[in-house]
Amino acid sequence: MINLFSLKQKQKEAADGTGGRVPVKKQSAGELRVQKDISELNLSKTTFISFPNGKDDLLNFEITIRPDEGYYMGGTFVFSFKISPIYPHEAPKVKCKTKVYHPNIDLEGNVCLNILREDWKPVLSINSIIYGLQYLFLDPNPDDPLNQEAADVLKDHPKQFESNVKRSMAVKNIRKFATY
Amino acid sequence: MAVRNSNKYDRQLRIWGDQGQLALEQANVCLLNCGPTGAEALKNLVLGGIGSCTIVDDSKVETRDLGNNFFVDWESIGLPKAKTVCAFLQELNDTVEAKFVEESPEALLNSNPEFFFQFTLIIATQMKEQSLLALDSICRKRNVMLLIARSYGLTGLIRICVKEHCVIESKPDNAINDLRLQKPWAELKRFADELDAEIDDPVIHKHIPFAVLLIKATEDWRKTHAGSLPYTSKEKAEFKVSLASKKHGEDEDNYKEAISSAYRVWSPPTIGSELQRVLDDSAVEVNSSSPDFWVMVAALKEFISNEGEGDAPLDGTIPDMTSTTEYYVTLQKIYQEKAELHVTALEARVKNILKRIGRDPQSITKSAIKLFCKNARNIRVLRYPPLEDEFNSIIGHELQKLLEVEENSNATFYVLLRGVDHFASSYNRYPGVFDDELEEDAMKLKTLSTTLLNKMIGGGVGGAVLSDDLVSEMCRFGASEIHTVASIIGGIASQEAIKLLTRQFTPLPGVLIYNGIDSTTSVLQLKSFA
Amino acid sequence: MDMQGRWEDIDHLLLRQGTLVGPEFEPCAELRESLHNDLRVLVIGAGGLGCELLKDLALSGFGNIDVIDMDTIDVSNLNRQFLFRMHDVGKPKAVVAAEKVMQRVKGVKVVPHYGRIEEKDDEFYRQFQIIALGLDSLEARSYINSVVCSFLEYEADGSPALPTIIPMVDGGTEGFKGHARVIIPGVTPCFYCTLGLFPPQVTYPLCTLAETPRSPAHCIEYVHLIQWGQERPGDSFDADNPEHMKWIFDKAFKRAEQFKIAGVTYSLTQGVVKNIIPAIASTNAIISAACALETLKIATMCCRSMDNYMMYMGTQGVYTHTLSHEKDPNCLVCSPGVPFEVDSSISLQKFIELLLEDPQFKDKLSKPSISYQKRNLYMQAPPVLEEMTRPHLNSPLFELMEKAGGTLNVNDKKLTGILRVNVSFRGHNDTVMDMDTAGGG
Repeated sequence: MINLFSLKQKQKEAADGTGGRVPVKKQSAGELRVQKDISELNLSKTTFISFPNGKDDLLNFEITIRPDEGYYMGGTFVFSFKISPIYPHEAPKVKCKTKVYHPNIDLEGNVCLNILREDWKPVLSINSIIYGLQYLFLDPNPDDPLNQEAADVLKDHPKQFESNVKRSMAVKNIRKFATY
Repeated sequence: MAVRNSNKYDRQLRIWGDQGQLALEQANVCLLNCGPTGAEALKNLVLGGIGSCTIVDDSKVETRDLGNNFFVDWESIGLPKAKTVCAFLQELNDTVEAKFVEESPEALLNSNPEFFFQFTLIIATQMKEQSLLALDSICRKRNVMLLIARSYGLTGLIRICVKEHCVIESKPDNAINDLRLQKPWAELKRFADELDAEIDDPVIHKHIPFAVLLIKATEDWRKTHAGSLPYTSKEKAEFKVSLASKKHGEDEDNYKEAISSAYRVWSPPTIGSELQRVLDDSAVEVNSSSPDFWVMVAALKEFISNEGEGDAPLDGTIPDMTSTTEYYVTLQKIYQEKAELHVTALEARVKNILKRIGRDPQSITKSAIKLFCKNARNIRVLRYPPLEDEFNSIIGHELQKLLEVEENSNATFYVLLRGVDHFASSYNRYPGVFDDELEEDAMKLKTLSTTLLNKMIGGGVGGAVLSDDLVSEMCRFGASEIHTVASIIGGIASQEAIKLLTRQFTPLPGVLIYNGIDSTTSVLQLKSFA
Repeated sequence: MDMQGRWEDIDHLLLRQGTLVGPEFEPCAELRESLHNDLRVLVIGAGGLGCELLKDLALSGFGNIDVIDMDTIDVSNLNRQFLFRMHDVGKPKAVVAAEKVMQRVKGVKVVPHYGRIEEKDDEFYRQFQIIALGLDSLEARSYINSVVCSFLEYEADGSPALPTIIPMVDGGTEGFKGHARVIIPGVTPCFYCTLGLFPPQVTYPLCTLAETPRSPAHCIEYVHLIQWGQERPGDSFDADNPEHMKWIFDKAFKRAEQFKIAGVTYSLTQGVVKNIIPAIASTNAIISAACALETLKIATMCCRSMDNYMMYMGTQGVYTHTLSHEKDPNCLVCSPGVPFEVDSSISLQKFIELLLEDPQFKDKLSKPSISYQKRNLYMQAPPVLEEMTRPHLNSPLFELMEKAGGTLNVNDKKLTGILRVNVSFRGHNDTVMDMDTAGGG
């Protein structure tokens, strides 16, 4: 254990010996871990990452997904990632910035993906979330809907769903589909 | 009533609710001696909003108090301590009626023992054994609850002295809802039967509540196992495997829940040993002067052997489970309705018993019975033997057990905390109050305490068990009241006071010994609980 | 302000030799004087724990206390934060708490800081010999942990350098439960070593909230997380705005009715939305006093320290468990890292090559990415970052590290965690004190 008085003495000596210290810039636990996650990212050819605040802010970034198959082929969907200082204790906050007609994404950009909320575990990584998002476009899940209308159409009239998706990606105006 | 201050009390109402708060607001608490231990205990109760408090202390504020008591100040030196502490505590909460009596607790005990009858609860701090014995017998006479708190250097002790304390809402941390999955009643079984677990619709399949999955699986199991439940660990594993085999996809949370809740089938909540002890208690033979609690226990006992078919009433709540809203709400209703039937049955029995013992059949309200039923599996009865019995060695066995555990010095502190009082009655001062007599006092304390210990455990153990290190630390402490220790002991005392007053949670079942050197506690069980 | 006999109780511990004391304990009057005059302790948080800590420390003989808190007093604090009165509602907690303690305990100096812990620089935190934490969030604990651990340096033999250690004492409560722990960076586990001790926050699946709500909390969370954004777009939700809270409650109540779910109340709505943790005076008093006592022990060695974590449970009787948690030898925040000495002339590219050639690293690394503090010096992936950081490869490492040695974080797919490498430059021994962690070399 430490004797504070001898400790204090040493501290004084140390302070006398050196002059102005260079302030250390603190990294949060989240930053340390996300550095690791990002350096190990394995992005497929349909996925892109960008850092709006430059190379030294890894806590905020955007993932762009351009599906090359499935209902959403040809679309471009941007997700914002916000990493908490206590990541990976807490899952990243992910929002879809592109309005999309999708059973698991609502019009405010909320995404229903289990690993973003109830099933998040610290062993998961940014990579796992990106896989999850890609999968949402390949295989939208009508059983866990966030946009019920879209889910119903997908379940009962897949053809209709397909054309709704196409139209929505063309007209960029999803809101009216909400009233289906 | 509580609602008036619901903002101020919001954070505690979330723990003990309006009823608990009401009980606090009706309590008259008396504090004996307002050194830091007492003042800190009362501080927490005043903040929580007790009805009134009365401080009894005849000392004047001295310089020494400024070094360990937050509820005195510079300007109050020479003034009555009770008055000063009372005024500072009153500042904390104007809804509390704070009073003081400038007299010594010991003098009051002699001159006016009736004084103590007016209180709901008395907290006696820093008092010696002889006065505590007298106080305990006075409190027992009138069912005034007594809490004893003592800080001594880096150690301390807390004990409760109450004849009988009955708790309906013990609020255990890990209470498990009674789901009766292994023996569903008709309505529950019908609901389970109506849901088709083989259905193709993926949305429905993944939203069948786990309770239903388990009821079905249990029924299937029984068919192929001569009506018995999974018993061996192999069978239990098989049961889970067969559940898992019915999954349609990996993401079906209801199946995951069913597998992790499968234990509910083979180890459903039963009548635990604590409840059984209450049911077997002689107080169940009720008469006209029996408290409502025991009347309800008597009714519970009848209920269990009649319509309960061996079980306590259903608590009527279910845990959250993956399900559609509709299934869940329906299931909730099925449990609630069954629980209400149980309440009605118990109510009828309560009325009959009341009639039989010559009391008004309406004198126990339906809401009281409902609360009792909801908590029936977790009711608690605590009885604390007279202090005299504790001092006369009923604690010996427990003490010996604790002393035998290596490295546990807390039993030694119990002996030494009593030893210093014996020292004080022999030498008229505590050991170690003078710097130049430390070593001598340590020897005397050790001799005295060893004798005491041998008396408590009926001889057979030499003085060697009392560690020299602890004896010498005890002398070093020299009856000092360290603020942080006082704050811990006072804090625990106030917590126990709240449990006693609200009749919620379970109070200490024995004597708590605090060891500030290692930051540990031990509870010495008193014999009558065993 | 030391009137004769005022500290008689605490003097039993400070002026007398004991048998179970800390190392190098020397009982003497100067000890108490030094505790009062020289030692500086920082209390973080002036809430339920903070108020108690301030009182406890002042009455343990600490004479110079600073307290920092960004909050103002709310009426719901008054059931336990005993330094505050109804008329203080709305004022800064730190300021009122400091004033009250100084008023009551003559001679103690309490300096309040009304603001966020992130606003203070390193020099602020370095002033203190001990930091006592009375916090309610993991974020704040984690932040202060990284600050304090960044001061930590190691001796050549791998032992922590005493003058660089600022011990922390931490408490937390929830209802009748709580914990108190002692963190000696480099000696006992830091927060990051034992992050798993904190339970994950309860979250509900969004689709459950949207489609299959079952509990009142589900209804409330739906309105809070989804409906608000739909019906009040652009209007940012403020949990302290009563109109906002009322809106959530009304909508959640309607939603619950629609789904035939009972139990949505205003109080529950507040509880769910603000994630309110129940709090009572007694647990706060117990936990804070346990922390303050450990602070006194660390400061004076008058008694051996608790080792190193106590949990407290008060609902069923009183149960405490004191246990010694283990330090994570590879902790990202408090571990010493591997010493590595290089020429001050080498480029980052060369440095990476040296790493890959070095026998102690070569089997662990294939394509290392290198970061220095908050700066990413070279990232091997993703391509966009690789491109952005590529120009650094030709820069001298000495310049990139601001002409000082220090700790580089090395990430590599072959590593399970992060490798911390302590770089020192040949011929620049004078910079050693500026290092995050001073390894050998």
